[in-house]
Amino acid sequence: MKKYVGYAIAGIATVVIALSFTNKEPENKAELGKLLFFDPILSKDKTISCASCHKPDFAFADTSAVSRGVGGKRGTRNSPTAMNVMLRRPFFWDGRARTLEEQALAPIENPVEMNLHLDSAIQRLRDSRIYNDYFRKLFDSEPTRENLAAAIAAFERTLETSNSPFDRWKFYEDSTVVSMGVKRGFEVFNGKGKCNKCHFGADFTQNDFRNIGLFNGRELNDSGRTLVSGKKEDIGKFKTPSLRNVSVTGPYMHNGMFTTLMQVIDFYSEPDKVISNSINRDSLLAKPLGLSQAEKSDLEAFLLSLTDEKFNNTVEVQMKYR
Amino acid sequence: MKTVLISTTILILLSFATDRLTGRWETKPSVNGNITGVVFKPDSSFEGYVNKKPFVSGRYVFRDSIFTFTDNGCDGKQGVYKIVFFSNNDSLRFVPINDSCTERKEGMSRLIMGRIK
Repeated sequence: MKKYVGYAIAGIATVVIALSFTNKEPENKAELGKLLFFDPILSKDKTISCASCHKPDFAFADTSAVSRGVGGKRGTRNSPTAMNVMLRRPFFWDGRARTLEEQALAPIENPVEMNLHLDSAIQRLRDSRIYNDYFRKLFDSEPTRENLAAAIAAFERTLETSNSPFDRWKFYEDSTVVSMGVKRGFEVFNGKGKCNKCHFGADFTQNDFRNIGLFNGRELNDSGRTLVSGKKEDIGKFKTPSLRNVSVTGPYMHNGMFTTLMQVIDFYSEPDKVISNSINRDSLLAKPLGLSQAEKSDLEAFLLSLTDEKFNNTVEVQMKYR
Repeated sequence: MKTVLISTTILILLSFATDRLTGRWETKPSVNGNITGVVFKPDSSFEGYVNKKPFVSGRYVFRDSIFTFTDNGCDGKQGVYKIVFFSNNDSLRFVPINDSCTERKEGMSRLIMGRIK
């Protein structure tokens, strides 16, 4: 039921946002990028847009473990949030895109995503009188790979959030907006939980690659970063994701194997109970964290406090159908 | 009586020194438009942020222009910096004295911040 409610919300939001663009001429590159982000013109059969997998109501993440592309093809990795990317690089779980511009173009050509050759995508935009006009006005050029990437990246850079209860506590110095559980959870995050060793920074990530123990060479056989770096020591490593808005960006991990934050916390607390035969797991997780139930609840409360107020409605619906 | 006077004078000087730092400080926008800031609180805690996003919390002692602190990054390593105030105490920069956390040292050495009123 929860899943279908999620789909319904995302569908309605996509339609509403798409309709709001009708006849509205973009005034800058980011607005053009927004238009393109929601337009299925960039997929082979014109059924999939960037927003199909990066759903606005869910902090521009997907609600499925792995996304479906053109023709219903299943991807192999979870679609991460496209928000709060301004301070981050590289991109994708394996870090194969060095810049946001590079990232923006990759899903268009990916056979299990939008499956459209970039030359064809550019031609479609050139054939569109409206897009041609927009690109000429904003880039002084017809559509090209470079300005298509620049427009989408410009839009993504506007997707910053900094108005969560945690932000109001720490930035605006209002300690009344968070519970004692959140404050204790922050202590666990920085202490016994060791979370800050990797999730440190303005977006709660150091943008590095870690093997948290979700690779065993068998049913968990995505070797991650090593596919890009070619280094044996990178096997099973994936980019540390941001934790901003994490309450609405599930399912979690590169393969979307956990559906709730508590499952994630349970895993980190005792990884061997979930994956006993992992290969090359990070030494930070060599021993069980041994978090108590109270500490886990506090940690969850802290993670929930990282939700920007614009997602309060999504959280409310999620709670209702939990 | 003399001891009391001297103690009072020292306390006043110390509080003046603390007041010089207490408050909100920010950099000018970088080339990419990022603004880094920090709030030094009277209870000896501080909060650092980028673009209004908090990223570091810690505790500090500030005495004789020397800023000694620990935070929730850098594995709890202590940092010691001299704070140089300039432009009528409205701006500051950090000069490293001792900090084995290389990344933090590089970041802080680049910072020039102005007081936000």
